[in-house]
Amino acid sequence: MNDDKEAGKAGKSSIKTLQCSNLYEYLKTLSPAVIDRLYTYPIICLAIYRDLPVVAKHYVIRILFVEQPVPQAEANEVTQVLSDLRVWHETSIPGGLPAWELNPVFKKNFKNSLLGGGRTWGIKANLETDSKARDVDYLDKYAMERWECVLHYMVGSKQQEGISVDAVRVLLHAGLMRQDDEDGSPVITKEGFQFLLLDTAEQVWYFMLQYLDTAASRNLDLVNCLAFLFQLSFSTLGKDYCADGMTEEMLTFLQHLREFGLVYQRKRKGGKFYPTRLALNITNRDSSGLAAQRKDGFVVVESNYRIYAYTDSNLQVALIGLFAELLYRFPNMVVGTLTRDSICMALRSGITADQIVNFLRLHAHPRLVAKGPPILPPTITDQINLWEKERDRFGCSDGILYSQFLSHSDFSILRDFAQEHGLLVWQNDQKKNHGRQFWWL
Amino acid sequence: MVKVTRGTLVKCDPAMKEFLIHLDETMAIGTKFIIEDLDEQHLFIQTDAIETLMARVDDLMDKISFPMTEKS
Repeated sequence: MNDDKEAGKAGKSSIKTLQCSNLYEYLKTLSPAVIDRLYTYPIICLAIYRDLPVVAKHYVIRILFVEQPVPQAEANEVTQVLSDLRVWHETSIPGGLPAWELNPVFKKNFKNSLLGGGRTWGIKANLETDSKARDVDYLDKYAMERWECVLHYMVGSKQQEGISVDAVRVLLHAGLMRQDDEDGSPVITKEGFQFLLLDTAEQVWYFMLQYLDTAASRNLDLVNCLAFLFQLSFSTLGKDYCADGMTEEMLTFLQHLREFGLVYQRKRKGGKFYPTRLALNITNRDSSGLAAQRKDGFVVVESNYRIYAYTDSNLQVALIGLFAELLYRFPNMVVGTLTRDSICMALRSGITADQIVNFLRLHAHPRLVAKGPPILPPTITDQINLWEKERDRFGCSDGILYSQFLSHSDFSILRDFAQEHGLLVWQNDQKKNHGRQFWWL
Repeated sequence: MVKVTRGTLVKCDPAMKEFLIHLDETMAIGTKFIIEDLDEQHLFIQTDAIETLMARVDDLMDKISFPMTEKS
């Protein structure tokens, strides 16, 4: 089996796994001009530096104050990362040796961010004390409430207030929902189901990336928005910031963030806002900031395929309902079973077995965690995987069959050509009724 | 003369292959869809039949599975 066949398969099967790229992968997709403009913000330089691999950090910090290009050492992944991000570029020093030189814009602004100087950056803290200050718990609660509003909308539960047209547009653009053929109302897609099973930080990041994609269409400047997001991510939780002096454009952006729960504002025109944990975690998803926020798990899975979910949230119940058959509902818990039918239903709607298992593991009740590892009964995880495999009994790849060659040399010429170009997926050089056949994608 | 045909290569285990051949022979989906029987694990079939076949295989698996939990 060669690479081409793999590619063919991926295109063929309708299940597409949701790709949640990290900051580096996202920046790589931006055009060089945009990246260069990003580097005019010291805060972005700092954020990108923070996200670099350790070795790359060393490179950058060591040559930051070297005012001339440095000769190139061997190229490796790390140097490639720096080139991709346009943190440095290749140049040559006298004598014709290849060398690295830091991007002057990056260099200047990164120095600014480390040493201070230049115009003030970052969002202004509010100097007056807020008479109705909000504490961290309140903000966390608020943020989750807003965010769950979006998720609620996706699963289509009616109890919550709706979300704005803008947010719906982002969901549609992201392919998480699509317009129903009949009445044009948005319905959830396969990707949407996968999205629901991600953890919150990943969801926010994915959602914001898609939002930024559509930024241009709502007259927002991508670079300004990104810069503002990064500024938020460097702010302090539970502190209020001043919205005075922000441009009209950024105020619009702020209102959108407010809707998704990334910032809290008591009044639209209040002039101050509190960033929430969702915003703080947006650029450093791997760090421990998130762990502090993670609520205790609530799902108990037993080896007899029963699921007990201690939750009163309709959203959580709806999520469990995606892949389990719900039996009883009590005020503070639901009971369900994992059956072949319920899992197959989930698989058919595009969720993968891994995602289900990950979801269960992520939300496992502390008592399961305490008993583990393994957190989940192995019979359950194995069976879910088996049920998935059962559906995947054959692999397909589109292709063209060449058969009934006149001579063996014809056959081998074509075969060697296909092999060279990585196009061969199947061949048979035994003499059969039809002569020799082989496959070409 | 070399014969060139466009279609889809299906790789599956021999048992599944037999099932596909059975579907083909009994015209279960209305038409014949196998273009070429390549070897034990490979079939060459018409591309547009794939979706229907997938559904048929799902049905088969549903039929031969036994529910472990009792409906209460």
